[in-house]
Amino acid sequence: MTAMVKISDLRKIYDGGFEALKGVSLEIREGEILALLGPNGAGKTTLISAVCGIAVPTSGTISVGGHDTITDYRAARQLIGLVPQEINLEPFQKVMDAVRFSRGLFGCKRDDALLERILRQLSLWDKRNAKVNELSGGMKRRVLIAKALSHEPRVLFLDEPTAGVDVELRRDMWDTVAQLKADGVTIILTTHYIEEAEAIADRVGVIAKGELLLVEEKAALMARMGRKELIVDLQEPVAEIPEALAAYDLRLIEDGRALVYTYDTTADRTGITNLLAEIAAAGLTLRDIRTHQSSLEDIFVGLVKEDAA
Amino acid sequence: MNLQAVRSIYYFEMARFFRTFLQSFISPVISTSLYFVVFGTAIGSRIDQVEGVSYGAFIVPGLIMLTVMTQGISNASFGIYFPKFIGTIYEQLSAPVNFLEIVLGYAGAAATKALFIGLVILGTSAFFVDLSIQHPLAMAGFLILTCISFALFGFIIGIWAKNFEQLQLIPLLIVTPLVFLGGSFYSISMLPPIWQTITLFNPVVYLISGFRWAFFGTADVPVGLSLLAIAGFCALCMAVVWVIFRTGWRLRS
Ligand SMILES: Nc1ncnc2c1ncn2[C@@H]1O[C@H](COP(=O)(O)OP(=O)(O)OP(=O)(O)O)[C@@H](O)[C@H]1O
Ligand SMILES: [Mg+2]
Repeated sequence: MTAMVKISDLRKIYDGGFEALKGVSLEIREGEILALLGPNGAGKTTLISAVCGIAVPTSGTISVGGHDTITDYRAARQLIGLVPQEINLEPFQKVMDAVRFSRGLFGCKRDDALLERILRQLSLWDKRNAKVNELSGGMKRRVLIAKALSHEPRVLFLDEPTAGVDVELRRDMWDTVAQLKADGVTIILTTHYIEEAEAIADRVGVIAKGELLLVEEKAALMARMGRKELIVDLQEPVAEIPEALAAYDLRLIEDGRALVYTYDTTADRTGITNLLAEIAAAGLTLRDIRTHQSSLEDIFVGLVKEDAA
Repeated sequence: MNLQAVRSIYYFEMARFFRTFLQSFISPVISTSLYFVVFGTAIGSRIDQVEGVSYGAFIVPGLIMLTVMTQGISNASFGIYFPKFIGTIYEQLSAPVNFLEIVLGYAGAAATKALFIGLVILGTSAFFVDLSIQHPLAMAGFLILTCISFALFGFIIGIWAKNFEQLQLIPLLIVTPLVFLGGSFYSISMLPPIWQTITLFNPVVYLISGFRWAFFGTADVPVGLSLLAIAGFCALCMAVVWVIFRTGWRLRS
Protein backbone atom coordinates (compact mmCIF):
# COMPACT_ATOMS: atom_id res chain seq x y z
CA MET A 1 0.00 0.00 0.00
CA THR A 2 1.12 3.54 -0.69
CA ALA A 3 1.67 6.22 1.93
CA MET A 4 -1.29 8.60 2.10
CA VAL A 5 0.35 10.86 4.64
CA LYS A 6 4.10 11.16 4.82
CA ILE A 7 5.69 13.09 7.66
CA SER A 8 9.47 13.51 7.63
CA ASP A 9 11.49 14.76 10.55
CA LEU A 10 8.78 17.14 11.68
CA ARG A 11 9.79 19.61 14.35
CA LYS A 12 7.60 22.19 15.97
CA ILE A 13 8.87 24.84 18.33
CA TYR A 14 6.11 27.15 19.54
CA ASP A 15 6.66 30.90 19.81
CA GLY A 16 7.37 30.64 23.51
CA GLY A 17 10.29 28.34 22.66
CA PHE A 18 8.60 25.11 23.68
CA GLU A 19 9.55 22.16 21.50
CA ALA A 20 6.30 20.23 21.07
CA LEU A 21 7.53 17.88 18.33
CA LYS A 22 11.11 16.65 18.25
CA GLY A 23 11.59 15.26 14.78
CA VAL A 24 8.67 12.97 14.09
CA SER A 25 8.70 10.75 11.00
CA LEU A 26 5.62 8.74 10.15
CA GLU A 27 4.02 7.17 7.13
CA ILE A 28 0.29 6.54 7.17
CA ARG A 29 -0.97 4.05 4.63
CA GLU A 30 -3.94 4.59 2.44
CA GLY A 31 -7.11 3.16 3.93
CA GLU A 32 -5.78 2.30 7.36
CA ILE A 33 -6.92 3.39 10.79
CA LEU A 34 -4.04 4.68 12.87
CA ALA A 35 -4.57 5.39 16.53
CA LEU A 36 -2.22 7.84 18.20
CA LEU A 37 -1.92 7.27 21.90
CA GLY A 38 -0.13 9.52 24.31
CA PRO A 39 -0.48 11.33 27.60
CA ASN A 40 -1.69 14.94 27.88
CA GLY A 41 0.69 17.35 26.22
CA ALA A 42 2.45 14.64 24.22
CA GLY A 43 2.06 16.56 20.97
CA LYS A 44 -0.81 14.70 19.31
CA THR A 45 -2.84 17.79 18.53
CA THR A 46 0.27 19.65 17.44
CA LEU A 47 1.06 16.87 14.97
CA ILE A 48 -2.43 17.02 13.51
CA SER A 49 -2.39 20.82 13.41
CA ALA A 50 0.85 20.78 11.46
CA VAL A 51 -0.57 18.41 8.86
CA CYS A 52 -3.79 20.40 8.51
CA GLY A 53 -2.18 23.83 8.17
CA ILE A 54 -3.17 25.25 11.54
CA ALA A 55 0.35 25.19 12.95
CA VAL A 56 3.38 26.04 10.84
CA PRO A 57 6.13 23.40 11.10
CA THR A 58 9.48 24.71 12.30
CA SER A 59 11.23 22.20 10.05
CA GLY A 60 10.55 18.97 8.25
CA THR A 61 8.13 18.14 5.45
CA ILE A 62 4.62 16.76 5.24
CA SER A 63 2.80 15.46 2.21
CA VAL A 64 -0.77 14.26 1.87
CA GLY A 65 -1.71 12.19 -1.16
CA GLY A 66 1.67 13.13 -2.61
CA HIS A 67 1.03 16.87 -2.26
CA ASP A 68 3.32 18.94 -0.06
CA THR A 69 1.24 20.72 2.59
CA ILE A 70 3.14 23.98 2.17
CA THR A 71 3.94 24.30 -1.53
CA ASP A 72 0.84 22.50 -2.78
CA TYR A 73 -1.48 23.25 0.11
CA ARG A 74 -4.67 23.46 -1.89
CA ALA A 75 -4.44 19.94 -3.27
CA ALA A 76 -3.25 18.58 0.07
CA ARG A 77 -5.95 20.22 2.17
CA GLN A 78 -8.68 19.25 -0.28
CA LEU A 79 -8.05 15.64 0.77
CA ILE A 80 -8.20 16.31 4.50
CA GLY A 81 -11.08 16.42 6.93
CA LEU A 82 -10.40 17.57 10.48
CA VAL A 83 -12.43 17.02 13.62
CA PRO A 84 -10.76 19.20 16.25
CA GLN A 85 -10.37 18.28 19.88
CA GLU A 86 -12.18 21.36 21.12
CA ILE A 87 -15.82 21.88 20.24
CA ASN A 88 -15.48 25.00 18.13
CA LEU A 89 -18.80 25.89 16.58
CA GLU A 90 -20.67 29.04 15.68
CA PRO A 91 -23.41 29.00 18.36
CA PHE A 92 -26.28 30.60 16.45
CA GLN A 93 -25.88 28.72 13.23
CA LYS A 94 -28.29 25.99 12.21
CA VAL A 95 -26.78 22.54 11.88
CA MET A 96 -27.52 22.30 8.15
CA ASP A 97 -26.06 25.76 7.50
CA ALA A 98 -22.93 24.89 9.44
CA VAL A 99 -22.33 21.78 7.35
CA ARG A 100 -23.15 23.59 4.13
CA PHE A 101 -20.68 26.32 5.03
CA SER A 102 -17.89 23.79 5.51
CA ARG A 103 -18.58 22.18 2.17
CA GLY A 104 -18.51 25.54 0.44
CA LEU A 105 -15.26 26.49 2.14
CA PHE A 106 -13.64 23.48 0.49
CA GLY A 107 -14.82 24.72 -2.87
CA CYS A 108 -17.44 22.01 -3.40
CA LYS A 109 -20.76 22.62 -5.12
CA ARG A 110 -23.85 22.50 -2.95
CA ASP A 111 -25.07 18.91 -2.59
CA ASP A 112 -27.90 18.59 -0.11
CA ALA A 113 -28.47 14.90 -0.84
CA LEU A 114 -24.94 14.11 0.31
CA LEU A 115 -25.29 16.27 3.39
CA GLU A 116 -28.54 14.51 4.21
CA ARG A 117 -26.77 11.14 4.02
CA ILE A 118 -24.02 12.37 6.33
CA LEU A 119 -26.43 13.88 8.85
CA ARG A 120 -28.57 10.75 8.85
CA GLN A 121 -25.57 8.52 9.41
CA LEU A 122 -24.60 10.65 12.40
CA SER A 123 -28.19 10.70 13.70
CA LEU A 124 -28.35 14.46 13.26
CA TRP A 125 -30.97 14.67 10.55
CA ASP A 126 -33.75 15.44 13.03
CA LYS A 127 -31.65 18.27 14.35
CA ARG A 128 -30.79 19.80 10.99
CA ASN A 129 -32.79 22.95 11.68
CA ALA A 130 -31.76 23.29 15.31
CA LYS A 131 -29.26 25.94 16.27
CA VAL A 132 -25.92 24.63 17.41
CA ASN A 133 -26.29 26.07 20.92
CA GLU A 134 -29.47 24.04 21.35
CA LEU A 135 -27.58 20.76 21.01
CA SER A 136 -26.03 18.52 23.63
CA GLY A 137 -22.26 18.11 23.86
CA GLY A 138 -22.27 14.75 22.11
CA MET A 139 -24.41 16.15 19.30
CA LYS A 140 -22.07 19.09 18.87
CA ARG A 141 -19.19 16.71 18.47
CA ARG A 142 -21.11 14.90 15.76
CA VAL A 143 -21.76 18.22 14.04
CA LEU A 144 -18.00 18.68 13.94
CA ILE A 145 -17.68 15.27 12.32
CA ALA A 146 -20.42 16.09 9.81
CA LYS A 147 -18.61 19.30 8.92
CA ALA A 148 -15.35 17.43 8.44
CA LEU A 149 -17.04 14.88 6.17
CA SER A 150 -18.97 17.43 4.12
CA HIS A 151 -16.36 17.63 1.37
CA GLU A 152 -15.79 13.88 1.23
CA PRO A 153 -12.19 13.84 2.45
CA ARG A 154 -9.84 10.95 1.73
CA VAL A 155 -8.00 11.42 5.01
CA LEU A 156 -9.84 12.07 8.24
CA PHE A 157 -8.22 13.33 11.43
CA LEU A 158 -10.25 12.72 14.56
CA ASP A 159 -8.72 14.45 17.57
CA GLU A 160 -10.27 12.66 20.54
CA PRO A 161 -13.62 12.12 18.86
CA THR A 162 -15.16 10.20 21.74
CA ALA A 163 -14.23 12.48 24.63
CA GLY A 164 -17.44 13.21 26.51
CA VAL A 165 -19.51 10.85 24.40
CA ASP A 166 -21.62 8.15 26.03
CA VAL A 167 -21.03 4.44 25.44
CA GLU A 168 -23.85 3.90 22.99
CA LEU A 169 -22.88 6.89 20.95
CA ARG A 170 -19.29 5.82 20.99
CA ARG A 171 -20.31 2.54 19.39
CA ASP A 172 -22.24 4.48 16.74
CA MET A 173 -19.18 6.54 16.11
CA TRP A 174 -17.02 3.46 15.70
CA ASP A 175 -19.58 2.17 13.21
CA THR A 176 -19.25 5.42 11.31
CA VAL A 177 -15.50 5.08 11.35
CA ALA A 178 -15.76 1.48 10.15
CA GLN A 179 -18.05 2.61 7.33
CA LEU A 180 -15.58 5.30 6.30
CA LYS A 181 -12.77 2.79 6.32
CA ALA A 182 -14.85 0.53 4.10
CA ASP A 183 -15.15 3.48 1.71
CA GLY A 184 -11.37 3.66 1.64
CA VAL A 185 -10.90 6.70 3.85
CA THR A 186 -7.63 6.87 5.77
CA ILE A 187 -8.30 7.63 9.41
CA ILE A 188 -6.01 9.00 12.08
CA LEU A 189 -7.49 9.29 15.54
CA THR A 190 -6.08 10.29 18.86
CA THR A 191 -7.54 8.91 22.00
CA HIS A 192 -6.95 8.40 25.65
CA TYR A 193 -9.14 5.31 25.64
CA ILE A 194 -6.95 2.35 25.00
CA GLU A 195 -9.95 0.09 24.37
CA GLU A 196 -10.82 2.37 21.54
CA ALA A 197 -7.47 1.92 19.85
CA GLU A 198 -7.65 -1.76 20.56
CA ALA A 199 -11.13 -2.06 19.11
CA ILE A 200 -10.82 -0.16 15.85
CA ALA A 201 -7.22 0.63 14.92
CA ASP A 202 -5.09 -1.26 12.42
CA ARG A 203 -1.91 0.31 13.71
CA VAL A 204 -1.06 2.07 16.90
CA GLY A 205 1.41 4.89 17.39
CA VAL A 206 2.59 5.92 20.82
CA ILE A 207 3.78 9.48 21.27
CA ALA A 208 5.20 11.05 24.40
CA LYS A 209 7.00 14.35 24.99
CA GLY A 210 7.06 15.18 21.29
CA GLU A 211 8.62 11.91 20.21
CA LEU A 212 7.05 9.01 18.41
CA LEU A 213 8.05 6.02 20.51
CA LEU A 214 6.69 3.37 18.20
CA VAL A 215 4.26 2.67 15.40
CA GLU A 216 3.23 -0.90 14.93
CA GLU A 217 0.51 -3.20 13.72
CA LYS A 218 -1.83 -3.53 16.61
CA ALA A 219 -1.84 -7.33 16.42
CA ALA A 220 1.95 -7.53 16.18
CA LEU A 221 2.33 -5.12 19.04
CA MET A 222 0.03 -7.14 21.21
CA ALA A 223 1.76 -10.36 20.23
CA ARG A 224 5.25 -9.02 20.68
CA MET A 225 4.63 -7.54 24.02
CA GLY A 226 1.62 -9.61 24.90
CA ARG A 227 2.59 -12.10 27.57
CA LYS A 228 -0.19 -14.28 28.73
CA GLU A 229 -0.64 -15.59 32.24
CA LEU A 230 -2.34 -18.80 33.26
CA ILE A 231 -3.63 -18.66 36.80
CA VAL A 232 -4.32 -21.99 38.52
CA ASP A 233 -6.49 -21.79 41.61
CA LEU A 234 -5.78 -24.58 44.08
CA GLN A 235 -8.19 -26.42 46.32
CA GLU A 236 -5.71 -26.38 49.25
CA PRO A 237 -3.09 -23.67 49.70
CA VAL A 238 0.56 -24.73 49.47
CA ALA A 239 3.52 -23.25 51.33
CA GLU A 240 5.91 -23.51 48.40
CA ILE A 241 6.11 -24.63 44.81
CA PRO A 242 6.53 -28.43 44.73
CA GLU A 243 9.96 -29.73 43.60
CA ALA A 244 8.33 -31.60 40.73
CA LEU A 245 7.25 -28.31 39.13
CA ALA A 246 10.59 -26.50 39.41
CA ALA A 247 11.11 -26.74 35.64
CA TYR A 248 8.29 -24.30 35.03
CA ASP A 249 8.38 -20.53 35.47
CA LEU A 250 5.89 -20.38 38.30
CA ARG A 251 4.92 -17.89 40.98
CA LEU A 252 2.78 -18.38 44.05
CA ILE A 253 0.13 -15.77 44.77
CA GLU A 254 -2.81 -15.25 47.12
CA ASP A 255 -1.08 -16.87 50.11
CA GLY A 256 -0.37 -20.03 48.19
CA ARG A 257 -3.91 -20.44 46.90
CA ALA A 258 -2.94 -19.90 43.25
CA LEU A 259 -0.08 -20.59 40.87
CA VAL A 260 0.76 -18.19 38.04
CA TYR A 261 2.36 -19.50 34.87
CA THR A 262 3.67 -16.90 32.39
CA TYR A 263 4.09 -17.94 28.78
CA ASP A 264 4.51 -16.52 25.33
CA THR A 265 1.43 -16.75 23.14
CA THR A 266 3.55 -16.77 19.99
CA ALA A 267 5.67 -19.80 20.97
CA ASP A 268 5.08 -23.15 19.23
CA ARG A 269 4.21 -24.91 22.42
CA THR A 270 2.86 -23.17 25.43
CA GLY A 271 3.47 -26.14 27.73
CA ILE A 272 0.08 -25.83 29.33
CA THR A 273 -0.99 -29.46 28.83
CA ASN A 274 2.17 -30.81 30.44
CA LEU A 275 2.00 -28.32 33.27
CA LEU A 276 -1.55 -29.27 34.17
CA ALA A 277 -0.69 -32.96 34.06
CA GLU A 278 2.30 -32.47 36.34
CA ILE A 279 0.33 -30.34 38.78
CA ALA A 280 -2.09 -33.25 39.13
CA ALA A 281 0.81 -35.71 39.44
CA ALA A 282 2.31 -33.58 42.23
CA GLY A 283 -0.87 -34.22 44.20
CA LEU A 284 -2.41 -30.76 43.93
CA THR A 285 -6.10 -30.41 43.18
CA LEU A 286 -7.29 -27.76 40.72
CA ARG A 287 -10.24 -25.65 41.66
CA ASP A 288 -10.28 -23.34 38.67
CA ILE A 289 -8.08 -21.97 35.92
CA ARG A 290 -8.15 -18.57 34.23
CA THR A 291 -5.95 -16.64 31.82
CA HIS A 292 -5.03 -12.99 31.58
CA GLN A 293 -3.53 -11.21 28.59
CA SER A 294 -1.79 -7.87 28.94
CA SER A 295 -3.77 -5.18 27.13
CA LEU A 296 -2.54 -2.26 25.10
CA GLU A 297 -3.01 -0.26 28.25
CA ASP A 298 -0.38 -2.29 30.10
CA ILE A 299 1.94 -1.98 27.13
CA PHE A 300 1.30 1.71 26.85
CA VAL A 301 1.84 2.47 30.51
CA GLY A 302 5.03 0.40 30.38
CA LEU A 303 6.33 2.31 27.38
CA VAL A 304 5.66 5.76 28.73
CA LYS A 305 7.24 4.83 32.06
CA GLU A 306 10.28 3.43 30.32
CA ASP A 307 10.59 6.67 28.37
CA ALA A 308 10.36 8.79 31.49
CA ALA A 309 13.03 6.74 33.23
CA MET B 1 -9.46 30.69 -7.28
CA ASN B 2 -11.82 29.01 -4.82
CA LEU B 3 -14.86 31.16 -5.60
CA GLN B 4 -17.16 28.78 -3.78
CA ALA B 5 -15.26 29.53 -0.56
CA VAL B 6 -15.51 33.28 -1.12
CA ARG B 7 -19.23 32.91 -1.65
CA SER B 8 -19.61 30.76 1.48
CA ILE B 9 -17.82 33.25 3.72
CA TYR B 10 -19.64 36.16 2.12
CA TYR B 11 -23.09 34.60 2.55
CA PHE B 12 -22.28 33.51 6.06
CA GLU B 13 -21.33 37.07 7.01
CA MET B 14 -24.34 38.54 5.23
CA ALA B 15 -26.62 36.07 7.02
CA ARG B 16 -25.69 37.70 10.30
CA PHE B 17 -26.64 41.03 8.77
CA PHE B 18 -30.00 39.77 7.53
CA ARG B 19 -30.82 38.15 10.87
CA THR B 20 -30.75 41.63 12.32
CA PHE B 21 -31.91 43.40 9.18
CA LEU B 22 -34.48 45.64 10.80
CA GLN B 23 -31.92 46.78 13.33
CA SER B 24 -29.34 47.33 10.59
CA PHE B 25 -31.86 49.41 8.71
CA ILE B 26 -33.53 51.38 11.47
CA SER B 27 -30.52 52.45 13.47
CA PRO B 28 -28.86 54.50 10.69
CA VAL B 29 -32.24 56.03 9.85
CA ILE B 30 -32.68 57.14 13.45
CA SER B 31 -29.14 58.39 13.93
CA THR B 32 -29.24 60.32 10.65
CA SER B 33 -32.51 61.93 11.62
CA LEU B 34 -31.00 62.93 14.94
CA TYR B 35 -28.00 64.52 13.21
CA PHE B 36 -30.35 66.53 11.05
CA VAL B 37 -32.40 67.64 13.98
CA VAL B 38 -29.35 68.67 16.00
CA PHE B 39 -26.90 69.90 13.38
CA GLY B 40 -29.15 70.72 10.47
CA THR B 41 -31.94 72.45 12.30
CA ALA B 42 -30.45 73.81 15.50
CA ILE B 43 -27.01 74.79 14.24
CA GLY B 44 -28.00 75.17 10.60
CA SER B 45 -30.46 77.90 11.48
CA ARG B 46 -27.48 79.99 12.63
CA ILE B 47 -25.09 79.02 9.85
CA ASP B 48 -26.64 80.12 6.67
CA GLN B 49 -24.65 78.55 3.91
CA VAL B 50 -21.27 76.90 3.55
CA GLU B 51 -19.57 77.36 0.19
CA GLY B 52 -22.90 78.13 -1.40
CA VAL B 53 -24.65 75.04 -0.01
CA SER B 54 -27.21 75.00 2.77
CA TYR B 55 -25.66 73.70 5.97
CA GLY B 56 -28.12 70.80 6.16
CA ALA B 57 -27.06 69.56 2.75
CA PHE B 58 -23.40 70.36 3.41
CA ILE B 59 -23.12 67.82 6.22
CA VAL B 60 -24.64 64.94 4.22
CA PRO B 61 -21.42 63.69 2.60
CA GLY B 62 -19.55 63.88 5.90
CA LEU B 63 -22.32 62.07 7.68
CA ILE B 64 -22.31 59.26 5.13
CA MET B 65 -18.52 58.98 5.29
CA LEU B 66 -18.51 58.96 9.07
CA THR B 67 -20.96 56.07 9.19
CA VAL B 68 -19.48 54.13 6.30
CA MET B 69 -15.99 54.24 7.81
CA THR B 70 -17.03 53.18 11.29
CA GLN B 71 -19.41 50.52 9.98
CA GLY B 72 -16.84 49.13 7.57
CA ILE B 73 -14.29 48.84 10.34
CA SER B 74 -16.57 47.39 12.97
CA ASN B 75 -18.22 44.85 10.66
CA ALA B 76 -14.97 43.54 9.24
CA SER B 77 -13.03 43.54 12.49
CA PHE B 78 -15.79 41.70 14.33
CA GLY B 79 -16.32 39.32 11.41
CA ILE B 80 -12.78 37.95 11.57
CA TYR B 81 -12.19 38.44 15.29
CA PHE B 82 -15.21 36.38 16.36
CA PRO B 83 -14.12 33.08 14.72
CA LYS B 84 -10.68 33.64 16.21
CA PHE B 85 -12.25 34.20 19.60
CA ILE B 86 -14.52 31.13 19.58
CA GLY B 87 -12.00 28.95 17.76
CA THR B 88 -13.96 28.24 14.59
CA ILE B 89 -11.14 29.85 12.59
CA TYR B 90 -9.53 26.39 12.42
CA GLU B 91 -11.82 25.66 9.50
CA GLN B 92 -10.69 28.61 7.41
CA LEU B 93 -7.06 27.82 8.24
CA SER B 94 -7.34 24.18 7.21
CA ALA B 95 -9.43 24.78 4.10
CA PRO B 96 -7.94 25.05 0.62
CA VAL B 97 -8.23 28.84 0.51
CA ASN B 98 -5.69 31.61 0.16
CA PHE B 99 -5.60 35.01 1.80
CA LEU B 100 -7.30 36.75 -1.08
CA GLU B 101 -10.32 34.47 -0.87
CA ILE B 102 -10.68 34.92 2.87
CA VAL B 103 -10.33 38.69 2.58
CA LEU B 104 -12.76 38.89 -0.31
CA GLY B 105 -15.33 37.03 1.73
CA TYR B 106 -14.97 38.94 4.99
CA ALA B 107 -14.07 42.41 3.77
CA GLY B 108 -16.46 42.07 0.84
CA ALA B 109 -19.37 41.40 3.16
CA ALA B 110 -18.35 44.18 5.53
CA ALA B 111 -18.05 46.61 2.61
CA THR B 112 -21.47 45.58 1.33
CA LYS B 113 -23.06 46.25 4.70
CA ALA B 114 -21.33 49.61 4.99
CA LEU B 115 -22.44 50.52 1.48
CA PHE B 116 -26.00 49.57 2.27
CA ILE B 117 -26.02 51.74 5.37
CA GLY B 118 -24.42 54.61 3.45
CA LEU B 119 -27.24 54.43 0.92
CA VAL B 120 -29.84 54.31 3.67
CA ILE B 121 -28.40 57.52 5.09
CA LEU B 122 -28.38 59.12 1.67
CA GLY B 123 -32.03 58.17 1.26
CA THR B 124 -32.97 59.43 4.70
CA SER B 125 -31.16 62.72 4.07
CA ALA B 126 -33.28 63.33 1.00
CA PHE B 127 -36.27 63.65 3.31
CA PHE B 128 -34.65 66.49 5.22
CA VAL B 129 -32.76 68.51 2.63
CA ASP B 130 -32.66 69.17 -1.08
CA LEU B 131 -29.84 67.12 -2.51
CA SER B 132 -28.40 67.28 -5.95
CA ILE B 133 -25.41 65.19 -6.81
CA GLN B 134 -23.23 66.83 -9.42
CA HIS B 135 -20.94 63.90 -10.14
CA PRO B 136 -22.92 60.71 -9.38
CA LEU B 137 -20.31 58.36 -10.79
CA ALA B 138 -17.53 59.90 -8.76
CA MET B 139 -19.81 59.81 -5.74
CA ALA B 140 -20.41 56.09 -6.19
CA GLY B 141 -16.70 55.50 -6.81
CA PHE B 142 -15.60 57.34 -3.66
CA LEU B 143 -18.26 55.64 -1.61
CA ILE B 144 -17.40 52.14 -2.78
CA LEU B 145 -13.64 52.67 -2.45
CA THR B 146 -14.11 53.97 1.08
CA CYS B 147 -16.29 51.00 2.01
CA ILE B 148 -13.69 48.59 0.69
CA SER B 149 -10.62 50.22 2.20
CA PHE B 150 -12.12 50.64 5.64
CA ALA B 151 -13.42 47.09 5.57
CA LEU B 152 -9.84 46.01 4.83
CA PHE B 153 -8.57 48.20 7.63
CA GLY B 154 -11.14 46.66 9.98
CA PHE B 155 -10.07 43.20 8.87
CA ILE B 156 -6.49 43.98 9.89
CA ILE B 157 -7.65 45.28 13.26
CA GLY B 158 -9.69 42.11 13.79
CA ILE B 159 -6.65 39.93 13.13
CA TRP B 160 -4.40 42.07 15.28
CA ALA B 161 -6.76 42.26 18.25
CA LYS B 162 -6.18 39.81 21.07
CA ASN B 163 -9.24 40.82 23.09
CA PHE B 164 -12.43 42.82 22.81
CA GLU B 165 -10.80 45.93 24.29
CA GLN B 166 -8.22 46.02 21.53
CA LEU B 167 -10.98 45.51 19.01
CA GLN B 168 -12.55 48.79 20.14
CA LEU B 169 -9.28 50.61 20.78
CA ILE B 170 -8.28 51.78 17.32
CA PRO B 171 -11.76 52.79 16.13
CA LEU B 172 -12.33 54.70 19.37
CA LEU B 173 -8.92 56.23 19.84
CA ILE B 174 -7.88 56.98 16.29
CA VAL B 175 -10.61 56.65 13.73
CA THR B 176 -13.48 58.50 15.42
CA PRO B 177 -11.37 61.58 16.30
CA LEU B 178 -9.86 61.69 12.82
CA VAL B 179 -13.28 61.48 11.24
CA PHE B 180 -14.80 64.14 13.47
CA LEU B 181 -11.83 66.43 12.90
CA GLY B 182 -11.80 65.59 9.21
CA GLY B 183 -14.35 68.16 8.18
CA SER B 184 -17.49 66.06 8.39
CA PHE B 185 -19.49 68.92 9.81
CA TYR B 186 -17.51 71.97 8.67
CA SER B 187 -15.37 73.23 5.86
CA ILE B 188 -11.64 73.36 6.47
CA SER B 189 -11.71 76.98 5.37
CA MET B 190 -13.77 77.79 8.47
CA LEU B 191 -10.79 76.95 10.71
CA PRO B 192 -8.00 79.33 11.81
CA PRO B 193 -5.01 79.14 9.41
CA ILE B 194 -2.76 77.12 11.72
CA TRP B 195 -5.43 74.44 12.12
CA GLN B 196 -5.99 74.39 8.40
CA THR B 197 -2.38 73.30 8.00
CA ILE B 198 -2.49 70.74 10.78
CA THR B 199 -5.69 69.29 9.38
CA LEU B 200 -3.95 68.46 6.13
CA PHE B 201 -2.12 65.66 7.97
CA ASN B 202 -5.44 64.00 8.65
CA PRO B 203 -6.03 61.45 5.87
CA VAL B 204 -9.77 61.51 6.42
CA VAL B 205 -9.89 65.13 5.26
CA TYR B 206 -9.01 64.00 1.75
CA LEU B 207 -11.75 61.42 1.66
CA ILE B 208 -14.49 63.72 2.89
CA SER B 209 -13.32 66.54 0.69
CA GLY B 210 -13.37 64.35 -2.40
CA PHE B 211 -16.74 62.90 -1.53
CA ARG B 212 -18.19 66.36 -0.97
CA TRP B 213 -16.79 67.48 -4.30
CA ALA B 214 -18.79 64.70 -5.96
CA PHE B 215 -21.93 66.16 -4.41
CA PHE B 216 -21.42 69.91 -4.71
CA GLY B 217 -18.42 70.48 -6.95
CA THR B 218 -16.45 72.26 -4.24
CA ALA B 219 -13.57 70.79 -2.28
CA ASP B 220 -11.03 71.66 0.40
CA VAL B 221 -8.23 69.83 -1.39
CA PRO B 222 -7.84 68.98 -5.09
CA VAL B 223 -10.04 66.02 -6.00
CA GLY B 224 -7.15 64.18 -7.69
CA LEU B 225 -5.33 64.22 -4.37
CA SER B 226 -8.41 62.80 -2.68
CA LEU B 227 -8.59 59.96 -5.15
CA LEU B 228 -4.89 59.26 -4.70
CA ALA B 229 -5.31 59.21 -0.92
CA ILE B 230 -8.13 56.72 -0.88
CA ALA B 231 -6.53 54.49 -3.53
CA GLY B 232 -3.24 54.61 -1.65
CA PHE B 233 -4.90 53.69 1.63
CA CYS B 234 -6.69 50.79 -0.05
CA ALA B 235 -3.43 49.51 -1.54
CA LEU B 236 -1.63 49.85 1.79
CA CYS B 237 -4.29 47.82 3.59
CA MET B 238 -4.17 45.19 0.87
CA ALA B 239 -0.39 44.92 1.25
CA VAL B 240 -0.62 44.57 5.02
CA VAL B 241 -3.24 41.83 4.68
CA TRP B 242 -1.01 40.03 2.21
CA VAL B 243 1.93 40.11 4.60
CA ILE B 244 -0.27 38.88 7.44
CA PHE B 245 -1.28 35.80 5.51
CA ARG B 246 2.21 35.24 4.18
CA THR B 247 3.52 34.98 7.71
CA GLY B 248 0.40 33.61 9.40
CA TRP B 249 0.77 36.42 11.93
CA ARG B 250 -1.72 36.05 14.81
CA LEU B 251 -3.56 33.36 12.86
CA ARG B 252 -1.35 30.29 12.65
CA SER B 253 0.67 29.16 15.65
N1 LIG C 1 -0.26 27.41 20.72
C1 LIG C 1 0.66 26.91 21.57
N2 LIG C 1 1.65 27.68 22.06
C2 LIG C 1 2.57 27.19 22.89
N3 LIG C 1 2.62 25.92 23.32
C3 LIG C 1 1.67 25.08 22.89
C4 LIG C 1 0.64 25.53 22.00
N4 LIG C 1 -0.17 24.48 21.72
C5 LIG C 1 0.32 23.44 22.41
N5 LIG C 1 1.42 23.79 23.12
C6 LIG C 1 2.23 22.90 23.97
O1 LIG C 1 2.70 21.83 23.19
C7 LIG C 1 2.63 20.61 23.92
C8 LIG C 1 1.82 19.59 23.14
O2 LIG C 1 0.48 20.01 23.09
P1 LIG C 1 -0.62 19.19 22.31
O3 LIG C 1 -1.87 19.97 22.34
O4 LIG C 1 -0.09 18.82 20.98
O5 LIG C 1 -0.76 17.88 23.23
P2 LIG C 1 -1.75 16.66 23.08
O6 LIG C 1 -0.91 15.45 22.91
O7 LIG C 1 -2.77 16.93 22.05
O8 LIG C 1 -2.41 16.63 24.53
P3 LIG C 1 -3.90 16.28 24.98
O9 LIG C 1 -3.99 14.81 25.09
O10 LIG C 1 -4.03 16.94 26.30
O11 LIG C 1 -4.83 16.84 23.96
C9 LIG C 1 2.02 20.96 25.27
O12 LIG C 1 3.07 21.05 26.20
C10 LIG C 1 1.39 22.30 25.06
O13 LIG C 1 1.46 23.08 26.23
MG1 LIG D 1 -4.73 17.20 22.03
